[in-house]
Amino acid sequence: MADTLFIGLSLASILLLVALGLSIIFGSMGVINMAHGELAMIGAYTAVLSGIYLHLNLIAAIPLAFLVTAGVGWLIERLVIRHLYKRIMDTLLATWGIALLLQQAIRLQFGATFFGVNIPGLGTGLQNVSLPAFFQQSWKIGDFVIQPYRSFIILVTIALAVATWALLYKTRWGIQVRAIMRNPEMAAACGIDVRKVSSMTFAYGSGLAGVAGVLLAGFKTVSPEMGATLVVDGFMVVVVGGVGSLVGTAAAAGILGEINGIVSLVSNDILARAVVLALVIGVIMWKPTGLFNFKGR
Amino acid sequence: MLQITDIDSYYGASHILHGVGLEAGKGELVGILGRNGTGKTTLLRTIMGMTTRATGSLKLNGQELIGEPTNKRAFAGFGYVPQGRQIIPDFTIRENILMGRFAAKDGRKDIPEIVYEIFPYLIENLDRPGGVLSGGQQQQLAIARALATEPSVLLLDEPTEGIQPNIVEQIEKTIIRLNKELGLTILLVEQNIRFVRAAATRFVMMENGRSVATGATADLTEALISKHMTI
Repeated sequence: MADTLFIGLSLASILLLVALGLSIIFGSMGVINMAHGELAMIGAYTAVLSGIYLHLNLIAAIPLAFLVTAGVGWLIERLVIRHLYKRIMDTLLATWGIALLLQQAIRLQFGATFFGVNIPGLGTGLQNVSLPAFFQQSWKIGDFVIQPYRSFIILVTIALAVATWALLYKTRWGIQVRAIMRNPEMAAACGIDVRKVSSMTFAYGSGLAGVAGVLLAGFKTVSPEMGATLVVDGFMVVVVGGVGSLVGTAAAAGILGEINGIVSLVSNDILARAVVLALVIGVIMWKPTGLFNFKGR
Repeated sequence: MLQITDIDSYYGASHILHGVGLEAGKGELVGILGRNGTGKTTLLRTIMGMTTRATGSLKLNGQELIGEPTNKRAFAGFGYVPQGRQIIPDFTIRENILMGRFAAKDGRKDIPEIVYEIFPYLIENLDRPGGVLSGGQQQQLAIARALATEPSVLLLDEPTEGIQPNIVEQIEKTIIRLNKELGLTILLVEQNIRFVRAAATRFVMMENGRSVATGATADLTEALISKHMTI
């Protein structure tokens, strides 16, 4: 049971990294970023490629992927989203378009994978990242097996969640982001450059997605499609936790990740997904603004 | 110092202000009067660049601001105290005040001295959330936040609306003090004629998105008031 909880926690960690970015971006800019999963996918490919060409291991790929995806996110904000502020349906469509564009670009460049099997001639060796040796040995304390890579995922997530909290609550950039989340108009009337802060916010959220992608690449097949389900899962976390609430996002990621892990173990993945979806629907009906929401107070 | 000429302003496709003009010299307090829905709030929001689109000219100390974004206007010297106060309930009082500092031209990040003087209650409660304050105290907080932007023109939108009567007098005194002692130019949207007569140097009467009468406070006759303000 402890093993299951542990695996659930590592799934929750990746969910949290994806959801944190989505939540900050949606909270401060009102943009539902459908390309968020693809940013994670780009992070995963950054890990794969930097392994092949730069001989970086997975740990070293994390900061690199953060920078790469933050840069891509910054560009998306500058080139597209900036021109669509306050038009939520348009940003939804535009970012979905960007998602398809990124998927297809990667597919054209690196080849396709079907059912987890790579088609030869369309790129090889790009489907996974080899883990450093010290991640492959598991430790045993009594009956409890510690898988080092799963632990690593959890630690990285905790570190980034704490860093995000510190950025939002202890820095000048953070108070600007929080002010924009609460009242963008008054934030601007107080001299805050909403556009500049927003593009930084978007880049930071994208960078977090990139890190999630690298961590996923360590135990899942890397493919152009890998991001598509992530954005859905991420949004479920945001909805359950309450938009713009760090604590809520963390709690919701934990709950959904664990339920997924436990139900998958006692029955199967598909039922686990159904249970999670039912729970999300239940929460939305019971508390439409999410479990934790500053606007509700 | 403030010159507004021939301003037209729009929310989406709705044309709200039609050719509004207004001037205010340094240290003046201009009362903006009129019934509900005549464009008084929209005029202040247009000055802050919060409507969808505006044409005409808005000059502060010779600088044209009509096409500039809201944050640039705050930086140029407009301090805005909106209707309903719009302080941030889950920010502390300190954070609420310091929010205004992002528009301070000299880059100061501390609480302005004047706030210590005029709003001692806020200073005693700096670490409490803004949401626990009463309406009148929230109004003081909104004014303190605007003062932190180091404005040369303060825009006040019905600062005494919905506030218990004993605090109203206090807020009124504060506004007069900011105007007389600090020499702040103030545009005041107000329904209370008595207060406008006591505080304003000049007035602008609005009707249907137009300025229909303007002049020194002495020219604010009963006839004018009954024509444009009685319902």
